[in-house]
Amino acid sequence: MIAILKVITPLLCWGGMMLSLARGIGSGPTLLAGGCGALFLTGSLLPLLVPSPLLVVAFKGVTAAAFAILWLASIGGIHGAGGEARVGHAAGPLAGRGGAFLASLLAGAGVGCILVPAGGVAQPMALMAAAVAGVSLAVAGAFAGRFLPRWFAPSGTGLWALILALLLCIASSSPRLDLFSPLTMRVMKFIHDFVHQFFESMLLPDHPFIRPRVWEYIGILFSSGVGFWGGVVLFFAPVGFIATAIRLTPLPSVAHIRRGAERRLLMASYIRQRRHQQAAPILAAAVLSLAIYQSRFPSVDYWDPAPVKVTADAAGKILIPEKGEPEIGDGRMHKFVYSHGGTEARFFVLAKEDGEYAVTLDACSICKPEGYGQGESALICYYCKTLIPLDTVGKPGGCNPVPLPFRREKGGVAIDAPLLLRSWDETVQATAGGGGERR
Amino acid sequence: MAECIIETRGVTRSYGEICALKPLDLQVRDGEWLAVMGHSGSGKSTLLNLLGGLDRPDGGSLVVGGVDLATLGEDGLARFRRERVGIIFQQHHLIPHLSAVENVMMAQYFHSVPDEAEAKVALQRVGLGHRLRNRPGELSGGEQQRVCIARAIINSPRILLADEPTGNLDHASTVVVLELLSELRAEERFTIVMVTHNQEVASRGERTIFLDDGILVREELSGR
Ligand SMILES: Nc1ncnc2c1ncn2[C@@H]1O[C@H](COP(=O)(O)OP(=O)(O)OP(=O)(O)O)[C@@H](O)[C@H]1O
Ligand SMILES: [Mg+2]
Repeated sequence: MIAILKVITPLLCWGGMMLSLARGIGSGPTLLAGGCGALFLTGSLLPLLVPSPLLVVAFKGVTAAAFAILWLASIGGIHGAGGEARVGHAAGPLAGRGGAFLASLLAGAGVGCILVPAGGVAQPMALMAAAVAGVSLAVAGAFAGRFLPRWFAPSGTGLWALILALLLCIASSSPRLDLFSPLTMRVMKFIHDFVHQFFESMLLPDHPFIRPRVWEYIGILFSSGVGFWGGVVLFFAPVGFIATAIRLTPLPSVAHIRRGAERRLLMASYIRQRRHQQAAPILAAAVLSLAIYQSRFPSVDYWDPAPVKVTADAAGKILIPEKGEPEIGDGRMHKFVYSHGGTEARFFVLAKEDGEYAVTLDACSICKPEGYGQGESALICYYCKTLIPLDTVGKPGGCNPVPLPFRREKGGVAIDAPLLLRSWDETVQATAGGGGERR
Repeated sequence: MAECIIETRGVTRSYGEICALKPLDLQVRDGEWLAVMGHSGSGKSTLLNLLGGLDRPDGGSLVVGGVDLATLGEDGLARFRRERVGIIFQQHHLIPHLSAVENVMMAQYFHSVPDEAEAKVALQRVGLGHRLRNRPGELSGGEQQRVCIARAIINSPRILLADEPTGNLDHASTVVVLELLSELRAEERFTIVMVTHNQEVASRGERTIFLDDGILVREELSGR
C-alpha cells in the first residue's frame, strides 16, 4: 500500500475540489456527492480498462484544453467592465454541474494514472483503495461545503480557476501527468524558434563586431530560466486576469435607496461580496505555486549514480569492463564521464531486459544536458520530465538519450573517445543554443 | 400605548462591591423622549451603557429595538451598536486631528462605507455647513456637541442615547442643542434616552425617571 502514499496530495486536492464545488455551484450536496463521487470512481478505475499511456494523453489533453478555455474566459472577463459577470453567466449552465462532473472524472483518472507504474500494469487493489478514498472525500466535501467560512464565495470564473489549479496540482504530483514541464518546454522551443527565425530572416544583424553584443542579450532568451518563467507567467496569467476582472466589476447601483445609512449598508455588502470573490483566485494562485513546486522537485526517487571517471587508451578507446565496479550488467543505468580538453562528456551504459546493452550520452538532442534518472521501468529526463521507457533506450529521437556507437569486446564495452567527444559537443551545442551555459 | 422599543426586566450591574444598578424594570415607547435624572453615582451612565450595548448586565433581560442583547455575541453586539444606536457623551470624544466632516465620515466607515456628500448634508442639518473643515479644537463646545449629534444620527439609529449632552454648555448653547434634538427627532422619529442633572433640560422630555442608588425611585410626566 506504499503506492497510496503517492496519491495523498492528489487526494487532498480532490477533497479541495469537492469543497470548492460544494460552495461554488448551486446543486445540492446529495447530487454533488453522488455525481462527482461516481465519476471520480469511474475515472480512478479507468486504468483497468484503458491502457495507461492512452489515458495519460487523454488526461493531459483535456486538462490542457480546459486550461486554454479558462485563459480565453479570463481574458473575456477583463475585456470591458462587467465582463466577469457576463462570462460567468454565459458559462453558467455549462460550467455548473457538467463542469463539476468532468472535473471529477479527470481527477479520478489522474489519481488512477499516478497509481499505475510507468510501463507497468494497474494494480486493482491500489486503484480500488484510491477510488474508495476518493468517493468518501466526495461525500465529505459535498456536505462539508456549508461549513466553509462565509468569505469563501467564489465567482464563476474564480471557482473554475481554483478547480483547474487543483487539477493541475494533481497532475504535477506525477512527472508523467505533469503539464507544467511540457509547458516550459513549449515556451522554450517557441522562443528558440522565434529567435532562429529572426536570424534566418536577417532581422538581427550578424556582424563580427555587433555579434558578441547581441548575443549577450540573445543569450538571456536561451537561458534555462526563460522556459520556466515563461511557463510561470502563462500558468498564473488567467488567475491574474480573473482577479483583475473581479476588481473591475462595477457594483450594482444603490442610488434608488433614499436613506443614507441603508444605502451605505447595501453598498458595503456589495463591496464585501466582491472582495470575498478574490479568495478563489488567491487560493488558485497558491495551489498553482504548489503545482509548479511539485513539477520542479518531483518527490519520486530516481536511481542516479555519480558518473565514474574513465580514460581512453592511446588508440582513443574507452573500455568499460563488464565485471567489477560498477557492474554494468545489473539492469541499472551506470553513468561515466570522460574529460578531455575542458569538455566533460557524460554517458551511461544500461543493460536491457533482453541482455543487450544500450550506450548513450547522458543528454538528448532537444533538452539542456541535465541528464537522466532511472525510475520504475523508465528513465526520466530531468530537464523536461519526459519518461523514456527502458526498451526504447538506445533508439534515437525526441528526448531519448543520444545513442553512441559501441562494440562489445571480450570483458567489456568499448567506445571511441573522439566520437564520444564529437557527439557530446554536437548535442550540447544544439541544445545550449550557441554559447549558452554548460553544466 | 405604542410598542416598546426598550424593555428591561430585573437588569442588574455591579462593579465588585458596588451595586450600580439594582434589579431595574423599565419600558420606553418607540419614539419617546425619556430623561434620566439622579444624583451623581446613582447609576445613570451605567444604565445608558447597558442600553447601548457598551456593557453587559450581570442579570435580567434587556430587549432593545426588538433584539435581546443577551443573545448577541461580541460581533452581534458591535453590529447592534453600529446600526441601532447613536450615542452622545458629555465629553465629545471627537478625533482631534480629523475635521468635522471627517469625524462624521469615520462613523460611516465603521458602519458601512464613508460618503462625504451625505456627511456634509448631516453637518448642514445641525447648522455647521460653514465649519465642515474645522477640527474639534477650532470649534466651540456647542459646535462640538452638534458635530457629535450629526455623528450620532448619521447611521439612522432607532435610538439616541445621550449622557449629559449639555453638561458642559452654557444656557444659549444648551437651548440650541435641545432645539436641534427636537427638530431631528420630529424628522427621523428616533427614541431619545437622555441623562441630565438639569431639571429644565429634563423637562424637554416627555417623561423623566429618577434613579437613586441604582433604584428607579420615581417617574414624572412632563407637563408640556
Ligand atoms: N467601570 C467601573 N468600575 C467600578 N465602578 C464603577 C464603574 N463605573 C461606574 N462605577 C460605579 O458605579 C456607580 C454608578 O456609576 P454611574 O457612572 O452609573 O453614575 P452616574 O449616575 O452616571 O453618575 P454621574 O452623574 O456622576 O455621571 C458609581 O458608584 C460608580 O463609582
Ligand atoms: Mg454619568
